[in-house]
Amino acid sequence: MTLIGTSIARTDAVEKVRGQSIYGVDVGMLGMLHGCLLRSPVPSGTITRLDTTAAIAMPGVHAVCTSADQPNTRAGWVLCEQRLFATQRVRYEGEPIAVVVADSREEARAAVDAISLEIEEVPGVDLATAMVDNPSSSLVHPEWETYQPLAGPETDHPRYRNVAAQMSSEPDDVDAIFEEADLVVEDELVSNRQYQAYIEPKSAVAVFAEGRYTIHTASQYPFNVRDRVAQFLGIRPSSVRVIGHTIGGGFGGKLDAALEPITAFMAEKTGRPVRIANDRTEDLLTCPSRENAVVKIRTALDKDGTMVARELLCDMDNGAYSAESIWLASLPLHIAKGVYEVGPTRVISRLHYTNTAPTGAFRGVGGTYLYAAIERHMDSIANTLGIDRRQYRLDNLLSDGDTLLNGQVLDNASTLGKAFERLEEILPWDETNGSKGPYQGLGLGGCVWLTNPMPGQATVKVNEDGAITVITSANDNGSGAVTMGITQIVAEEFSVNPEDVHVTSPDTDVTGYDAGSQGSRTTHIVGRAALDASLKVKEQLFEVAAGMLEASPADMDLVNGEIGVVGAPQSRISLSEVAAAATWTTGPIVAAASYTTPPVDFNPACASGLLFPTMPTPSYHAHMAAVEVDPITGQIEVQRYVVVQDVGRAINPTGIRGQIQGAVAQGIGHTLYESLQIENCRYLERTLENYRLPLAVDIPTVEFILLEEADPEGPYGAKGVAEPPIALVSAVIANAVSDAIGAPVTRIPITPEDVLEALSN
Amino acid sequence: MNSVSASVLVNGRSVTIDGHGATTLLEFLRNSLGLTGTKEGCSEGECGACTVLIDGQPITSCLYPVLAAEGRHVETIEGVSEGSDLSPLQETLITAGGIQCGFCTPGFVMTLTALLRKQPNPTGEEVANALAGNLCRCTGYSQIVEAAISLSGVERKS
Repeated sequence: MTLIGTSIARTDAVEKVRGQSIYGVDVGMLGMLHGCLLRSPVPSGTITRLDTTAAIAMPGVHAVCTSADQPNTRAGWVLCEQRLFATQRVRYEGEPIAVVVADSREEARAAVDAISLEIEEVPGVDLATAMVDNPSSSLVHPEWETYQPLAGPETDHPRYRNVAAQMSSEPDDVDAIFEEADLVVEDELVSNRQYQAYIEPKSAVAVFAEGRYTIHTASQYPFNVRDRVAQFLGIRPSSVRVIGHTIGGGFGGKLDAALEPITAFMAEKTGRPVRIANDRTEDLLTCPSRENAVVKIRTALDKDGTMVARELLCDMDNGAYSAESIWLASLPLHIAKGVYEVGPTRVISRLHYTNTAPTGAFRGVGGTYLYAAIERHMDSIANTLGIDRRQYRLDNLLSDGDTLLNGQVLDNASTLGKAFERLEEILPWDETNGSKGPYQGLGLGGCVWLTNPMPGQATVKVNEDGAITVITSANDNGSGAVTMGITQIVAEEFSVNPEDVHVTSPDTDVTGYDAGSQGSRTTHIVGRAALDASLKVKEQLFEVAAGMLEASPADMDLVNGEIGVVGAPQSRISLSEVAAAATWTTGPIVAAASYTTPPVDFNPACASGLLFPTMPTPSYHAHMAAVEVDPITGQIEVQRYVVVQDVGRAINPTGIRGQIQGAVAQGIGHTLYESLQIENCRYLERTLENYRLPLAVDIPTVEFILLEEADPEGPYGAKGVAEPPIALVSAVIANAVSDAIGAPVTRIPITPEDVLEALSN
Repeated sequence: MNSVSASVLVNGRSVTIDGHGATTLLEFLRNSLGLTGTKEGCSEGECGACTVLIDGQPITSCLYPVLAAEGRHVETIEGVSEGSDLSPLQETLITAGGIQCGFCTPGFVMTLTALLRKQPNPTGEEVANALAGNLCRCTGYSQIVEAAISLSGVERKS
């Protein structure tokens, strides 16, 4: 092996650094019209007047559509609740009410302004209101009982009134243990909403012809867009073709359809290509951001300080409609004990409808604040007991063969111990803790994370000139999973230069299903599929070459782009010769393979409403942070940040570094700066001017060590690497700040005001 | 609005401005000249994806009226490399791992190109401060800063 573990440049680097890549927003067509949406200016109310007469008469306008024109369908990722346009009720600020399509965007916008809209506003439901659930609560969806799960009524999950999903795990003996406990420690953490804030706002271009819709978009998950468009329009998925373009960042915010269904609908209405693009405020107001949540946690301890039982209650804000959050409501069960032995654990997780924008997946999903709650709680317990925080963790750490609360066995959990140990090489705990100055603090924590198991597919062909094409809808959201990971794996298999491997862009008409760039799955899942397809292709090559060389295929190898008999260097033929010969004799050389992670054993009786049942392909991590707070301004500086990460196998170290550094930066943003504050169900932050993203001056250079605990199923042992490094950032920074100010941190983000208030007490 | 006729130098080539008073330089570059390497991320001068140089100074082209560029020299990402050769900064951005999704990259290249002409041997702090107007959501910045400071001592054209 030569390429695996080397830092080749990403294959799209040159076009990106020259500004030549075609992103979603760069796609245009001759004859294309432009759409603009009328979005609800209020979070909750009833539409009492919607008159589009004046808009239709405006210059350049081709069509105006509202709920009066929409198909009679409901759409949704898990639960079908949504319609194309708000119908009578509006449920969040920014919800589409009408669309205008015109010759230019300016004309469309002017016509939107000419629509006469009146809404009788009613007080909205926010998370605090929703959490006080009772039969007389005002409901975001009075018709909630009529909604059907996408996969059929038999797949329905526990839900009621404003609770879109509830997952409960209630072992019998928890209450009894709490009653007999020598000590009970309780904590609470409130986490605010975080916007993905990718730099490319969302857009879509759609064309309708011959009964089919072709959609150009920069989606993380083109097949999901295909399915959602089909649901909204009441057509079969195969009537929709989604073509993926370069993505200007996603981080989970571009997994579900956004503008595509309405754009497709209007392409049919007008018979012309239609483009709709968000401006930044529309994008911010409607993006499925990381949900705000409240986590309450308490642990029962015996006289030795051993954790003997736990209870964790998690209330999450679903927003007005659900995306995959219904699945993600299972996550608290998997994270409730953290990476420690804690005894029987009750977990109740509730996902609440509110009159705010639908929330969704943002890298690390709820893991960021759940691990923050749990690792804060671990500090709290250790401090209460007067035991060193690191030592208390090590004393209770999971090891090989221990289980998660779902009964899933963690065969390699001892990697956690190695991870904590390796932190010492960079930032020795006792020494650093002992030499802290005033207002300096240290925090640490550990986690287990998954690699998304969902299916992928790759077709590999050898062109007659010896170059390799990989045809797949796996896409590179910027992570390098395609332009480094898959490319490198295939180049290695064929022993060719990475420049001789070309991977296509996503196209749902052309490739097998792909579950999108999410959950660090692409290198692991599609890398494996591409590897398997490559092995099949090599068999074909060896068969053809054996005929050409009058040898046995079993004796062949492929080295430096040449095929021959092992140990016979004088008679080798190039990949291109074999591929060209094959093309004109047996036919072109091409093979396909699919892969999805095999199901993981667990105990289905462990919980009700468990829709996301296991943590497949677990990897193990420990982080440490050193901070200093300014007692005058309350500002927090992250001075050192250390990651020890289990990657399975490092395919491209520079690529992995990019994921670690980038994830920690987003985590620092989440913990210290970024917040969509909700007041009267409206966001206070509405532009990038007041939504405070981290800048270059805010982010330290993250120090890291990679552990290579190979996964037997992953390509060359690789596990997912992009998502885990954000999971612990809030946890360890909150612990470090708490250590620095000598007071608990109970809110994320931690603001300078919070710091000053704690210091003044 | 009345159209006016004026000209501007874009990447060394004189072009006629066809915009009216409200047209931004960004719209002109992307829509009239087809120079789509300059990106629109926020339209409010916050993200820096639309950064171009005017007479060597980085500006956010989404807020800059195209008519204000009359008679000036505008440099965009398309003008940074000479022929098939990348600039040294572009090369080091690649090797340092300073590019992920790449949407912000043209803006970073322009801001840093201006900085390096003025200050060929910047410190990390100087680079980070110069990047106060450029947002990157993918990389976490360090690799970009390293790319710029690694050019210390490299001979480059002004």
